[in-house]
Amino acid sequence: MNIASEKFKSVLQLLGNHHSRTDKHVENNSNLVYVCGDYSVIKVLNAIASNAIMNTHLTLAAFCLTTLVACGGGSSESNSTASDTTSNTTTDSQTSSQSGGSATEPSSEQGGSEDPQAGDGGEGEAPEPQNTPPEVVVDITQPEVVKGAPLTLSANVADSEDTTFSYLWRQVSGPEVALGDVTGPTLTVTLPDTYQAAADSYQFSVTVTDPQGADTTTMIDVEASNAMSPNQAAMLLHQGTMGPTLEEVNAATGISETQWLDAQMALPATYHLPLLENYPDRDTPYQINRIDAWWKATLNANDQLRQRVAFALSEILVVSDANNALKGEPEGMLAYYDLLLEHAFGNYRALLEAVTLSPVMGTYLSHLGNEKADPERNIRPDENYAREVMQLFTIGLDMLDQDGSIMQGDNGQPIATYSQQEITGFARVFTGWTFAYSARWDRPSRNYSLPMQAFPAYHSELDKTLLNGEVIPAGVGPEDSMQLALDNLFNHTNVGPFISKQLIQRLITSNPTPQYVERVATVFNDNGSGVRGDLSAVIRAIYLDDEARRYGSVLAYQGKIKEPLLKGVQLWRTLNAHSEAGNYFTWNLDDRYGQGPMLSPSVFNFFRPDHQPAELSEQGLFAPELQIANDAAMIGTLNQQYGDLIWRMAERHDTLNPSAIYLYGQSDISLLKTGGLSALLDRYNLLYFAGNMSQASRDAFIELDQYFANKSAADRVGQLLFMVSLSPEFNVQY
Amino acid sequence: MMNKSRREFLSLCLKGGVSAAALTSLQLQALSGSVEQRSFSDYKALVCVYLYGGNDSMNMLVPLSGEQRSWYEASRQNLAVQEAISLSTASEFEGGVGLHPAMAPLQSYFDQQNLAFVGGVGTLIAPTSLAAYQAKSVPLPQHLFSHNDQQATWMHGQEKQTLNTGWGARLLERLEQGNVFGSNITIDGANPWQTGTNTSAFALSKSGVSKINALSGYEPRVEHVRRVMQTLFSQASHPLASAYASRLSGSIEHTLYMNTLLEQAPTLTTEFGESSLSAQLAAVAKTISIQSQLAAQRQIFFVSMGGFDTHDNQESTHPALLGALANSLGEFQNALTELGVAEQVSTFTMSDFGRTLTSNGDGTDHGWAGNQLVLGGAVKGGDLHGAMMAQRLDGPDDVGGGRLIPAYSNEQYFAPLARWFGLAESELTDLFPNLSNFDAQALSLFKA
Repeated sequence: MNIASEKFKSVLQLLGNHHSRTDKHVENNSNLVYVCGDYSVIKVLNAIASNAIMNTHLTLAAFCLTTLVACGGGSSESNSTASDTTSNTTTDSQTSSQSGGSATEPSSEQGGSEDPQAGDGGEGEAPEPQNTPPEVVVDITQPEVVKGAPLTLSANVADSEDTTFSYLWRQVSGPEVALGDVTGPTLTVTLPDTYQAAADSYQFSVTVTDPQGADTTTMIDVEASNAMSPNQAAMLLHQGTMGPTLEEVNAATGISETQWLDAQMALPATYHLPLLENYPDRDTPYQINRIDAWWKATLNANDQLRQRVAFALSEILVVSDANNALKGEPEGMLAYYDLLLEHAFGNYRALLEAVTLSPVMGTYLSHLGNEKADPERNIRPDENYAREVMQLFTIGLDMLDQDGSIMQGDNGQPIATYSQQEITGFARVFTGWTFAYSARWDRPSRNYSLPMQAFPAYHSELDKTLLNGEVIPAGVGPEDSMQLALDNLFNHTNVGPFISKQLIQRLITSNPTPQYVERVATVFNDNGSGVRGDLSAVIRAIYLDDEARRYGSVLAYQGKIKEPLLKGVQLWRTLNAHSEAGNYFTWNLDDRYGQGPMLSPSVFNFFRPDHQPAELSEQGLFAPELQIANDAAMIGTLNQQYGDLIWRMAERHDTLNPSAIYLYGQSDISLLKTGGLSALLDRYNLLYFAGNMSQASRDAFIELDQYFANKSAADRVGQLLFMVSLSPEFNVQY
Repeated sequence: MMNKSRREFLSLCLKGGVSAAALTSLQLQALSGSVEQRSFSDYKALVCVYLYGGNDSMNMLVPLSGEQRSWYEASRQNLAVQEAISLSTASEFEGGVGLHPAMAPLQSYFDQQNLAFVGGVGTLIAPTSLAAYQAKSVPLPQHLFSHNDQQATWMHGQEKQTLNTGWGARLLERLEQGNVFGSNITIDGANPWQTGTNTSAFALSKSGVSKINALSGYEPRVEHVRRVMQTLFSQASHPLASAYASRLSGSIEHTLYMNTLLEQAPTLTTEFGESSLSAQLAAVAKTISIQSQLAAQRQIFFVSMGGFDTHDNQESTHPALLGALANSLGEFQNALTELGVAEQVSTFTMSDFGRTLTSNGDGTDHGWAGNQLVLGGAVKGGDLHGAMMAQRLDGPDDVGGGRLIPAYSNEQYFAPLARWFGLAESELTDLFPNLSNFDAQALSLFKA
């Protein structure tokens, strides 16, 4: 009994993450299966487990491990909590063979026993059998079951009367597996490497028969997860990090996409504000110092997925200190970025509220200090945030279908999501808010980090028209109005497709199929547990979708142009860019990359999600990142990368300037020396192309290197990396 | 000199065994004699100064006296402009026309009749009255009051289409200048105004020159590196990679060519200030100075200024913006005079929209009708063309909160610019599809 319980624990560990599946088993539990004519004892394994560590998981797991007990001589019987029709069939055939054709048809009309509890009730009433059938627990011997790898199942038998048994293994469900020897106490198979992100579910059974002919059939559910190949790992990490390093790709190789995402989401957030440092000789921080903090986290943090998602959010929920007074508020700007990090895997409703109440956003879109109307002076509330929170942060301008396409009205035209009436209503909502801990409305604290505070006397007491005809009645105060208004926005049907599509575009592909958008929007609308806006579920759905993973048919235009800044970030991460002083002071990011963190020229970001470059108009494709790929910016990036990879390659210098940033190519230089060009290009193919380097590109890199063959290894590496950085195949995130 | 450098450049382009896919329009034009290209007897340039965010241009020109002034002060309250400069306009306007005092640097250009204002302009599909607006009996531009949509409408010169093109690019294409390198130049990145079906702008950096470090230095190395680059660019099969490759390939070739020419540009004695707009306009002036080498007879330029979305702190920010604008425009006009092309270059403004007459306490919100300016030796200056709109709350043009229905459509404003540039009268309505709903001759902005 205790042994059995211990076995359960190992099974539970395997099943623990698959509640939905075990739930299904519970539901199906009423489909009881009967064999032989005379039914008696029902050995339900949850009964075995019940006196041990009984908890919900155990109960659920028990239903997965189903024991069918059949009596050899027809005197005793089995029953089952068999979980589905497949096991039904298995039991039938088994019974049929063993009772010499005398098997009774399974009798599903035996009504009372359809109650899953019937087994417990039946136990007392059944006559005690002479020979008890063996008790069987199946073990999975591998610590992790992965696709494409061997799986060994072991039948552990407990039977007080007998010591020798015969075995018969079968596969009940799942992708077809060649079983080999099915008559031993263990079964070893090699699971196929199926081409999908989702785990494969299998069910196997083993029938153990004692010398008296009493047998027990036990089912085991097995889930085989992916083991990512190096290229698959590199592709996922290009999508899910700020730019992967070789160590990160290697660490992700061999585990599944889900395991990588789970591990990343479990990491504590690396916040940026604690990384803010002043210039050595200054008392206060500047914009350059908050950009330094961004680099420190971006380059060195382990929670890369969170950093990437927050970066994507910073290009949707845009604030910027590029050309306004926020330039003087680096702590506040970092606090804003930190709230994106904090809520990256939280709920969009909470994120929306944090963004709305951020004094940085309040300053940027001017709802901080916004007052109720003063009709005498023709003053009405500021409409800036009211407009942009709808147009850019939640619902957009046009009514959307759940797949993100624009709904057509009766006249064939798009249907506007809001009019001036709603703008006026929301503008009234966003009145009466100023800096936290302000002594008075007109004595603001100027604390740019804490959520704003309401002063009811400055809040509009008029009614407020919201979306879908909802109206906040007159006299509702600032906090309640804010909550009602954000609920109203958050629950609009556009939010799911509007936000999901933009996240897909920032993270995975510029041209998602409507089906992909709808699959993710469906998760946004309901994470499976009735929760709307669960970003952790949305992010999982985005990354695990077959379209993102390139399982199934791959679209020719799948993927996106890498953002110029992120190209630079990957090179800096892989080549361990740093200054000896430890800071990353990067001026004029706009000239170098055409973009920078929280440096957008306006709330409309550096590029729009529906930007269609002329080169792609015939194909009807979007490439948002090409909106900033103008001649001057592309040459700027080219020069930046030339400077990084040639001039600032540390190994090319005898002495280093302590405050200057250098890139370190030592690992590549060593590989070139020991393994040659071919080994180095193999590494680059994995690290920079996720395996997509064409032979033609490879040949071009080889041709490049021929010219530099007599130069130092550091020179050769630098020239190769520079050519990699401008090559079209590197510039696509697949 | 110029012919030599152009030849050298083209020969450099062709050395690397460049594939057809990687050839740029410039090279194609050089290789093929069949590219259609109209020849002009003169040189002209249009310079668009885009004021991002929606300039409160109803505060750029303000009434000075009488009922108009009373309405104005009642509507604008603490944002009403005091001590405006009285302009002696050729046409008379009730209440007079006052220029924001921050724009004093432009007064002399107005008085010398090189500067004109165009009043009461905005996006319209057809003439629109308040009653028609309220009854929804007239088609309206999509997404009024939204920044990016209205920017696009101004720059496209038409409502949103399946394939959107800018009216600047269409104008060049109509004049068969679309394939002429150097005819379409931006100092502020890509923008819808200059993007056409087969035309896009060359983006010059503010400093005017972008040296390509990887392609500078020891010639054999440069040639080798360049050849490998071209091989890579011609390999791209992924549609997005291919678009990227043709962009970068074109950027490199065009930049090398422009650098060769710009290195020969004369040094201007006209000084430009520190503002971003001054730097951009200095780069335009420099480019215009080498236009004969470029052999582009028609050029359009795009420069911009941000910060006009004055939802707050308008009292301090807006005068600063107008002041910077006025200074930069004045410098630019001086440089054009120095280059002897003052009458061949016309500079004009566009902006998302005007702003609300009502205040939100310390700023204004997104409005509709606004005022624009046109500067240049060819301009019928010293006047306000169009309407001096009454800044009257709940007046006959107010759709709410002091958002005024434009008296003139922006296509009526664009028509004389295109006409001056050389477009035939019959082609105007092709360029601006809604123009036929209006009087295309209503605004006469240029000297006969």
